Amino acid sequence: MFRALFCIGLALLVPGLVAMGVSLCGGPVEWFTDTQTFWGVPISLFVFWIGLAHAGTLISAAFLVLNVKMDRRTALLAEMSTLCSLAVAVCMPLMHLGVIANFYMVAPFWDARGNISNVRSPLVWDFCCIAVYGVLSLLFFVSHFCMNPLKDDLPTVAVARAWIKKVRRPMAWILFPLVLWVHSVVSLDFASTFVPEWQGAFFPLYFIAGAIFSGLALVNFLLTFENYRVRVLEKLTLVCSWFMCAFWVWNFIINGNFCVSAFVFAGVLPQLLFVEWVRENRYACVSLWLSILLGMLLERVYLVSPTMETFGWIDLGLVAFGAGMFLVTFYGLRRLLQKGIEDDELLMGDVDTVGEALDSEFEAASRKYFLPLSTPEYRILRLPVLCGILVAILFSIWTFNANDQVNIELRLVNVFPLFGPIIALVAALILTSRALWTVSRKSVRWVVVSLLVAFAGACGAFYAGGSSVPEKASAETSSQLLDNVSVVNVVWDSRCATCHGIDGKFNKKFVREFYPVPQTLSLDRLDSIGEDSLVQVILQGRVNMNSYEGRISEGMARNLVMYMRILAERDSARASSAGEDEE
Amino acid sequence: MDRREFIKVCSVMAAAGLLYGCRKIPFVGKASSDESLSRAIPALKDFEDEVEKAMARGGKNLDLVKVPMPSILNASDADLQNRFGMAIDLDACNGCGKCIMACIVENNIPLVTEEEREKDRFMHWIKMRGDAPFMCAHCGDAPCEKVCPTGAANHTPDGLSAMMYKRCAGSRFCGANCPEKARKFNYNDAEELGLLRKFNAEVPVRGKGVMEKCSMCLQRLQNDRLRFKAEHPFNEWRGRNVKTACAEACPRNAIIFGNWLDPESPLVKAAKHRELFAPRSIAKFDPSVVYMRGRR
Repeated sequence: MFRALFCIGLALLVPGLVAMGVSLCGGPVEWFTDTQTFWGVPISLFVFWIGLAHAGTLISAAFLVLNVKMDRRTALLAEMSTLCSLAVAVCMPLMHLGVIANFYMVAPFWDARGNISNVRSPLVWDFCCIAVYGVLSLLFFVSHFCMNPLKDDLPTVAVARAWIKKVRRPMAWILFPLVLWVHSVVSLDFASTFVPEWQGAFFPLYFIAGAIFSGLALVNFLLTFENYRVRVLEKLTLVCSWFMCAFWVWNFIINGNFCVSAFVFAGVLPQLLFVEWVRENRYACVSLWLSILLGMLLERVYLVSPTMETFGWIDLGLVAFGAGMFLVTFYGLRRLLQKGIEDDELLMGDVDTVGEALDSEFEAASRKYFLPLSTPEYRILRLPVLCGILVAILFSIWTFNANDQVNIELRLVNVFPLFGPIIALVAALILTSRALWTVSRKSVRWVVVSLLVAFAGACGAFYAGGSSVPEKASAETSSQLLDNVSVVNVVWDSRCATCHGIDGKFNKKFVREFYPVPQTLSLDRLDSIGEDSLVQVILQGRVNMNSYEGRISEGMARNLVMYMRILAERDSARASSAGEDEE
Repeated sequence: MDRREFIKVCSVMAAAGLLYGCRKIPFVGKASSDESLSRAIPALKDFEDEVEKAMARGGKNLDLVKVPMPSILNASDADLQNRFGMAIDLDACNGCGKCIMACIVENNIPLVTEEEREKDRFMHWIKMRGDAPFMCAHCGDAPCEKVCPTGAANHTPDGLSAMMYKRCAGSRFCGANCPEKARKFNYNDAEELGLLRKFNAEVPVRGKGVMEKCSMCLQRLQNDRLRFKAEHPFNEWRGRNVKTACAEACPRNAIIFGNWLDPESPLVKAAKHRELFAPRSIAKFDPSVVYMRGRR
């Protein structure tokens, strides 16, 4: 059965990859884009898959938090579906971009040229939220497998379990709000614009309900193939369908638009669950869950591009790519982790006892007396969260300062959406790092450390930024030395003075428009750098300064350096005479 | 066929599919300049024909509402001396469309392919909307700039809604958030397809996947500023010698460019006793480009 699904996935993935390749090279012209919004199928698919990605972790985290008993296998499958759909979802916005190579510019991180992404854009919030959500979901998923690291070494197993037990429930407490936060932010992409179809204060709620609904349908779908039903999830799906119907009616009343096919597939058909024969029949169930997924997909497409008329073959290929990649990664992973999922210790129906154990531990702890700030609750959960809040505050201070060069007003409201992911990331890393470190094997530790080093390297590369040499320099190849100061003066005034100022002190007003402030060219500084180095700086460029190679000859550069000296001498003479006057 | 073989076949197919999809990637790097010379360059006539086609398609009439005269930008680092803008005199304008052609020649605006033309995706920065030219209004409180994730769309202190093309990732969020759809997206590599003619060496050619729109002839402003600063280092530059390409080309002098904060500017002189209007959807964003009609 699983192999059949894997093959179906492959069959969908191959044409999907062709479509993907074509649209990667051809760009947005290849697929349908809305004339009003410039957005198209990839964004609808992104919203759809990110919705699916929310259910898994939400289910297992929320159930853990709310003390709803759920067996480990369901939780594992749900979380695995989260990770796989997240992988699909991440491909979509990348493909949506016109210049894919520039995707990293969305990360709210500085580069050496003083560029920083526009933190008030919902897309930046999106980027951060989803990155953090991916990392934390992975951590949460991995923590399942740390429960039984080495079978033959019982003491280690006991220690590991104790660690993980301590961590999982607080982690669920962090993840639960994060999931809701992430999807609210995704909905803000739409709700914060002026597109009439996208406006509405209920958008976050609407999106969260839709995400949970489609995610539940997916988990149910996957569980059906495990020959397995979880009644809580089925009931929840039904309740969500009512919510969605209510939202659709609401939207119809406010905006007057309505997607009939979505209503039929995802609103009306799920009500067949009331019929006993449908509930009991596997094939009926599978088609029911599929109809919900189809309905939600159509709904997302309708939402993102209201003028959508026809699906081109590339559009269909992208849909196939999503489904195919999900099935292949999911069933590939399932096969890989089969031992962990169908473990002899953790059989189907084995209820997660972590919560209970922790409860009893906390009960025992509550009877003891602790000094303030040393209770286990404080150490495990509150301290990491407080650290996260501290980091979030530091981040907002830093962005407010960095934003100095961007001529767009920044308010706290604009940074606030990033608080959730930052707090969650810091808290969860502090929370789990020690536990996972003690539990993990040596090889895993090496991998993690090298990954961290690679990540730091990537940050460094990001900071260094790309080359600023113009692709086609308009060559100015006269190489004669000019002794005439007035000619150099004109070159200085036209080429350099925009930033460095007519008098060699930087032109603060003009500089603020595009570049960070350059160095003051004092006599000391010129002497310490030396003439040859300065010529090289002019020709090759330096941190924030563009290269002038091909635009200014070397002789002219040397003249400019001499002119700089004249300016600096004039300045120091003026300063010393001013000093004498004061004396 | 056993399983091993099946997987092998599948992976070969997947690889082949990817290769097929990526066949357009040039493996040898960028085309050399010799090649670009031999590439087809459209004639001026082609551009004129396209302008005619675009005008024949027409656009929705502008829904105008009254606005006050633009003043100092509402930003912490606003320039107190300069805020550039335009006023379009609806009493004088007869919708001849000469401004569109002038804009194309000034800003190297490419042609579009046949399919794009059918979808009404012209690259022209000016569009005729019911006998009145419409271009980016350079809103003081521009909604497009707020949503740009990379900060490629930003505002200069002197009131221009500027674009850093190199910084643009092509998310098209700005286009989605512009109520009047003044922004244009480069769906195709016009240079590659032979749809581009470089009329003006001073304006960079926008690559594929980049958003663009009216820049209020930024290059003319910058040139004048540089020249002025070199000649009069200690005077305040007010941009008095500048005229945008469309304003220059208008035979009836219906487009007037100037500095809203300079009482000497032709713009302020012309707009002082007129009633000013802006499209309803952007009136609340403090547009710098307005329409004028009647007498006050």
